[in-house]
Amino acid sequence: MRCFAFHLMPYTQLDPSYEGPAWVTCPNELYDPALGHELYNTYLDQLIYAEELGFDGVCVNEHHQNAYGNMPSPNLIASILARQTSRMKIAVVGNALPLYDPPTRVAEEFAMIDVISGGRLIAGMVVGGGPEYYSFSVNPAHARERFQEAHDLIVKAWTEPGPFEWVSKHYRIRYVNPWPRPLQQPHPEIWIPGAGSVETMEFVARNRYAYMGIPYFHIDVFKRYFSMFRDACEAEGYEADPLQYGWLLPIYVAETDEQARREYEEHFWYFVKRLLPGITIQPPGYTSVRSLASILKSAGTFMLNIDTWEEVVNGRYAIVGSPETVADQLIESLRELGTGNLLGLFQLGSLPDHLTRKNMALFAEQVMPKLRAEFPDGERVYRPQAKVA
Amino acid sequence: MPQTLVEEQLDTPAGKVQLFRAGAGAPLVYLHSAGGESSHAALEELADSFEVLVPVFPGYGESEGIEDIDGMEDAVFHLLDLWELLELDAPAVMGLSLGAWMAAELATRYPEKVGKLVLVNPVGLHIDRAPIAEMFGRGAGELAEMLFADQEHPIAAAMHAMDDFTGDVGKQVEIPIEMVLPMWKAMSATAKLGWDPYLHNPKLRGRLRRVTAPTLVVRAAQDGMVPAAHAETYAAEIAGARLEVIEDAAHWLPFEKPAELAELVRDFLG
Repeated sequence: MRCFAFHLMPYTQLDPSYEGPAWVTCPNELYDPALGHELYNTYLDQLIYAEELGFDGVCVNEHHQNAYGNMPSPNLIASILARQTSRMKIAVVGNALPLYDPPTRVAEEFAMIDVISGGRLIAGMVVGGGPEYYSFSVNPAHARERFQEAHDLIVKAWTEPGPFEWVSKHYRIRYVNPWPRPLQQPHPEIWIPGAGSVETMEFVARNRYAYMGIPYFHIDVFKRYFSMFRDACEAEGYEADPLQYGWLLPIYVAETDEQARREYEEHFWYFVKRLLPGITIQPPGYTSVRSLASILKSAGTFMLNIDTWEEVVNGRYAIVGSPETVADQLIESLRELGTGNLLGLFQLGSLPDHLTRKNMALFAEQVMPKLRAEFPDGERVYRPQAKVA
Repeated sequence: MPQTLVEEQLDTPAGKVQLFRAGAGAPLVYLHSAGGESSHAALEELADSFEVLVPVFPGYGESEGIEDIDGMEDAVFHLLDLWELLELDAPAVMGLSLGAWMAAELATRYPEKVGKLVLVNPVGLHIDRAPIAEMFGRGAGELAEMLFADQEHPIAAAMHAMDDFTGDVGKQVEIPIEMVLPMWKAMSATAKLGWDPYLHNPKLRGRLRRVTAPTLVVRAAQDGMVPAAHAETYAAEIAGARLEVIEDAAHWLPFEKPAELAELVRDFLG
């Protein structure tokens, strides 16, 4: 079992009188740079603390023009971590490839982080959330094509000697020859976050990458998605390795169940009711008809639709409680899901620094050892390998 | 007597597309809006005097071939293929909104392919301080506010009823795919033509001087999507164009004032 601490770097004090979405059109007058200065540094310290506590790695991700996650460039954060940590993996989950033009920028920046960190980068590649297409005006009807082409180009830039010329529908580059090349050979482990799109699962299975389930759904949705992913691997002629997929969810550990809920609940609802609204805006042409059917099936269970703590607990939208409760529920769920990567959001919404650090420490000291004992790394089947379509 | 348009299928280089046809006489090609409408009462009335032809554009309805269409240039090539298949020389061309933009793209690039031009609530231009309202990412109810002057119109009422089934997936409960699919497909196809630049071609305004066809521009007085300056600019830039305004109607004018529109068009086409 690999345990990662995932950070969104949320804005913690969205004006209570503002009632609109936290995405795309949320007025940036509401952003206080002085608070931002504090938050970035506090959040970076939390991620560095994860290494001290023995986490296998940390995860950061990319979102634009929103209060939900203030990392328009996760690569900047990852490059700081590359210098300020020395052991753990740094997973950028991921760069939204269609937003980079030319996408060789991703090949370059990821290689820089990998070289600086001594080969600790996990290279996440993602189509990008719906709101990003409104914020960037990149045509969502081209999202899948651009993602595929950019991925093929980046992997080729990492694995084949340059210079070479690249010609595809959306990208034409006469000299592809990035310096530096990644330290990890043939290239860093590639993770692909997905929200139920069938094409994404098939792509991950075909390339033997790792599939990270995008959170905030009822646990039954993840059961269905991971089962679909295992089927996709089977269709490629192999059995999915647990390390080839991961479950991402909010986790909060405190001394007792009662204390955990008391300390956590208001910050959790701030996240759900203030920071999530707007995340689900649908850009046209972004999803195939085939995937639409799959995604519509789970839409009703999205976290925005829940209102009671009972629903949170029953749907495992977050796992909150004493170390015993959290360990028991995680073990039970991980066994059902079959995943070998646990990606925990230990800071969520407006959760303050001291509670976040206490949460991380209790998890690392009292939950992580149980998970590792329960799910020892078997012989590793999953070997990330480069394959270019 | 109004006539019902009848569906046919055409094999085009893009793929199989639907064609709706009625009437006899001089050909009148109708290019639909982002809604993908294959008919309305104004067309049924016009079929009394003309041969009305409504090709459903790739990606809308059951028409195939949107995969290889990435913008108005590709759209115009598709129209050239259609003209050839239908043995059209220089028919009258009428378009609503997106379809009007497409008609203007054809008429600026191939003026000889358009006998007469009717632009109803056209998009296609960018006008400073008169932006076209956002149509993407909206719920059906919000769209109805832009499309209809009268929210009691049966289509507007149906769109308001659909509100729970479109727009923000996060707020949906039970979603039957048949209900969202036609709109989903229409929006996806429209994105390929008009996501960026948003519903316009920055070059089009400077090319409007090339239109040679007699042109009628029709604007709905209560259009909630496209400001008046757009129709006015078309009328000003196309030599000899006439501008007409129909009251008590919004962006989907043909659905609200079919008789008035049909009468204007019939008089204009002669």
